[in-house]
Amino acid sequence: MEITAGDILGFLSLTWQQAIMLVIGCLLIYLGIARKVEPVLLIPIGTGIILANIPLGDIAGQGGLFALLKEAGIDTELFPLLIFIGVGAMIDFGPFLEKPYTILLGAAAQFGIFGTFFLAYLLGDGWLGIMDFSLNDAASIGMIGSADGPTSIYVSTILGSKFTAAIVVAAYSYMALVPIIQPPIMKWLTTEKERKIRMPVTPGKISRRTRILFPIAAIIAVCLLAPKATPLIGFLMFGNLLRESGVVKQLSSAAQNEMANIVTILLGITVGGMMVAGDFLKLETILIFTIGIIAFAMDTAAGVILGKIMCFISKGKINPLIGAAGISAFPMSARVVQKVGLEADPHNHLLMYAAGANTAGQIASVVAGGVMLMLVPLFG
Amino acid sequence: MLEALWIVLLGMSIIFAVLGLLLGIMTVLSRLPEHDRDKKA
Repeated sequence: MEITAGDILGFLSLTWQQAIMLVIGCLLIYLGIARKVEPVLLIPIGTGIILANIPLGDIAGQGGLFALLKEAGIDTELFPLLIFIGVGAMIDFGPFLEKPYTILLGAAAQFGIFGTFFLAYLLGDGWLGIMDFSLNDAASIGMIGSADGPTSIYVSTILGSKFTAAIVVAAYSYMALVPIIQPPIMKWLTTEKERKIRMPVTPGKISRRTRILFPIAAIIAVCLLAPKATPLIGFLMFGNLLRESGVVKQLSSAAQNEMANIVTILLGITVGGMMVAGDFLKLETILIFTIGIIAFAMDTAAGVILGKIMCFISKGKINPLIGAAGISAFPMSARVVQKVGLEADPHNHLLMYAAGANTAGQIASVVAGGVMLMLVPLFG
Repeated sequence: MLEALWIVLLGMSIIFAVLGLLLGIMTVLSRLPEHDRDKKA
């Protein structure tokens, strides 16, 4: 058997597509470390990309470690669901329980998911046929608008989209870019007068009983109406119940720290490992990233527009800016609302209300994922 | 494209219905009186 140098030395087999992927991997690591853009995710993802695109490394191929991790953690939906336990344990639903009406802002801000889905399907198999987007692919691409990495992974895996890796990276990248994407849209849709509306800071007290009953009630109510959301909402609220019960502090702490950190490492490196040059460097990937930014813009616009309607109904008592926090990107979006509010009036503190809408967005995005999983097979 | 339009309309309607129900539940929960033990704490 004749063995050439190209069979042994990786760099002799390096294709230009793999070289581009190595640059992308290094860029993500750079952004994570030097610019502190979502370092918890971008460093594992960037490393995964580099490892998966080393010629002759075979780590992402059949039987390789990344293939094994993907099969065990992504294809089974295990990793995103375990992350949700950690997220639930980290979230304080207090601001949301104090201002229950903010849940409607969370609902409105999910329009980005459905609007993006419609746009992707229009460009794909639905009408124009420019892109290779099936109904399932379009629904998965729409999930970028959930601004929620684990939900995007969960839905796109179940729907069997071939663009899962690009969708997940787009979702996480744009979550980091929320402070850049949202403010122009918020300012464009609101008047100076509206942005100056002050909302009184009234620290309410939510009883322990309410905090404990909420996750249980949410599981039963949401899952009975949208059963496809059961794994997502169930694990999210289970994590929250660990937190709020107050009697299993060690479990709550483990969910927030050890488990969430371990699964984040595995999820990040596995997602990076899915980005193999041949599958990733396509025109569709570029378009998915372009559509992704539209998804976030539509989320923001829909939230602010409902905020304006609520402002009108309440006779000017609700600042429409808080609607922009209805997306799931927690807590970046709430901070953006606070910042834009302070720019209009240095004494206008909207953070508590925005945090309520933001945590509502977390629940709403999970429900939206379940609804997508329920509807797409019906019409597919 | 009609199926996509249906998914958009039904999807948003279901989300508002589910979260509207949750809003009702939360409104009831937020009015629950504090437990005696909570008051003491």
